[in-house]
Amino acid sequence: MILAAAMNPEAFSGAQDAITRLRRGDPDALTAMISRYQHRLYRYLLRLVREPAAADDLFQQTWLRVMEKIGRYDARRNFEAWLFSVAHNLAVDAWRGKRTESLDESADSREHASGGGAIGNTLRADDPDALERLLDFERGAALAASIQELPAIHREVLTLRFEEDMKLEEIAEVAGIPLSTVKSRLSRALDGLRAAMDKRFPGRKEA
Amino acid sequence: MSEHESMAGLLALAAAGALDAQQQRLLEKHARECPACRRELEIWSQYAQGLRRLPQPSVPSQLMERTRARVVQESVAAADRRWEAFTLGALALFAWTVGLTFWLVARIVTGGELVVMGANLVRFGTWSAGSTVLVWLTAAVAALALGRRRRELRRAL
Repeated sequence: MILAAAMNPEAFSGAQDAITRLRRGDPDALTAMISRYQHRLYRYLLRLVREPAAADDLFQQTWLRVMEKIGRYDARRNFEAWLFSVAHNLAVDAWRGKRTESLDESADSREHASGGGAIGNTLRADDPDALERLLDFERGAALAASIQELPAIHREVLTLRFEEDMKLEEIAEVAGIPLSTVKSRLSRALDGLRAAMDKRFPGRKEA
Repeated sequence: MSEHESMAGLLALAAAGALDAQQQRLLEKHARECPACRRELEIWSQYAQGLRRLPQPSVPSQLMERTRARVVQESVAAADRRWEAFTLGALALFAWTVGLTFWLVARIVTGGELVVMGANLVRFGTWSAGSTVLVWLTAAVAALALGRRRRELRRAL
């Protein structure tokens, strides 16, 4: 649905209009832009830092930085890639600031980060697809948990490629790395993910 | 490295849609003839599908409102800082202009000589030293007043 909105010319023109108004400091445009990107940006940050409180703070800092830099934003550039690169740089700065801290989080935050929750509460006994949905959820949860075991740079390329559906060039722009590095990171991330899944489910091959 | 080995190294990237057209063509050709790579390709495509359908995190409550409030608060603070810098600059310029004007007037009125306690007050060096002291005093008082206003605003926000 997000992709459909991005491909929709009216939605695109609406975004351009909002960016123009944002440059003039229009508070309604800010609300529109935050609303438009909040799910994707928060998801990206959460996948990257894994800690909900840190993702929340980085989300706010990203919009503060956007407001500071929007005057220098080149409208010919892809706004989404620019927005995510702002968030990426802030996350890197935050990481540098607390390099001594452990990157492991509590089970609670991992569950939140993977979007885990009480799926059982949403399943009804008379729902014919309930079992299939439960299996889907479990598979998804296992995959999400395995992603949490990967290094941040690998989690980042996976979420940008598969969840944000970004092109490799856009990922390179967000992470500030060459295209060849994007490819090698993607390859290593997928290999790492598969190894983590194999460890979790010995003998089973598929995701 | 055999063709099979080199193609096997591309399977994960193929699932990520990260191969160029030529690599993709070569891999597809190889997979048609290699059951092991075909099976691997299928597994990787399941991974890709799973990655596109991961459980989604929910956005924390009021995140948009909190972000908007923080941006507005920061914009107000930034506007205040700009206004304060402008005010201080304008005050300094005003003080220098007044000092220079008075110096010119004083020179005309006194004929270029106004000696007090052995110092000629309308000499440029003496006058500019006095003006500088006055400008800095004015700036210090203004900075104190503006700092107080900023603290009051911060408390109000």
